Amino acid sequence: MGFSGEIAAKLIASTNEIFTGMVMMEIEAIDPPVEPLGQMKNSITGMIGLAGIFKGVLAIHFTNDIAMAVTGSFLGLDVEEINEDVHDAVGEIANMLGGDLKTILSDKGKDIQLSLPSTIGGEEYVFNSRDSGEQLILSFKVPAGVFYIEVQLEK
Amino acid sequence: MAKNILLVDDSSTMRKIITRSLRQAGLDFGEIFEASDGQEALDVLEKEHVDIVLSDINMPNMNGIEFLREKANRDAIKDIPVFMISTETGDDIIGEAKSLGAVGALKKPFTPDKVSEVLGPLV
Repeated sequence: MGFSGEIAAKLIASTNEIFTGMVMMEIEAIDPPVEPLGQMKNSITGMIGLAGIFKGVLAIHFTNDIAMAVTGSFLGLDVEEINEDVHDAVGEIANMLGGDLKTILSDKGKDIQLSLPSTIGGEEYVFNSRDSGEQLILSFKVPAGVFYIEVQLEK
Repeated sequence: MAKNILLVDDSSTMRKIITRSLRQAGLDFGEIFEASDGQEALDVLEKEHVDIVLSDINMPNMNGIEFLREKANRDAIKDIPVFMISTETGDDIIGEAKSLGAVGALKKPFTPDKVSEVLGPLV
């Protein structure tokens, strides 16, 4: 199964469900970037790996400002720094998206295994995964800016 | 009598969200205990009075399936009901959890309404 428009549409629907239903933040899917995402600046990335009949990674990239706004809305708190709560919240959002991607790709369960979610962050970094396989980037607008979901997969 | 709940999830965010959802759902429950993996959950169950366990599946150290298997071998705690709350919704994984004693499953993400619908009868 490739990255058909249907898979992208399902991931957008999943992202909407997670943000409106749990994060309590309205988001708007917008046109994805034409160029690769390249260098992340003052950002945090949550990621989860997939193995089995599909191998790859799903990542969600937030600027620090968006990550703090998302965490604050998720937890109902004022968040003013990138702390453990922010990393945990970003990791959990990646985890839910990874679960949904797994369901989109296979409804069985054990033919795709998910890793535990992890996060990275910093002033400047580049997110790279395997060069092979297919890539999908989705863009979403929130009041604090734009965030991205990136999927790299091979079968 | 309000029932005591044990939340088992490696994400502190998710434990907070589940607690908030239980409150927003208007469910009447007693004390809430927390554990970040299956081993911690077993330790809590051996020490505290817990009526219901709400457990994730994908966790470090001891995952939710291993937790169910180990709990089933301990006479003092084997009959405490466990409800899975997880991103894992595949038929074979949920089927395995139910074969090990899980009484149901709720998919993440969830809403307070969904929490009320599926956990209300238990709590």
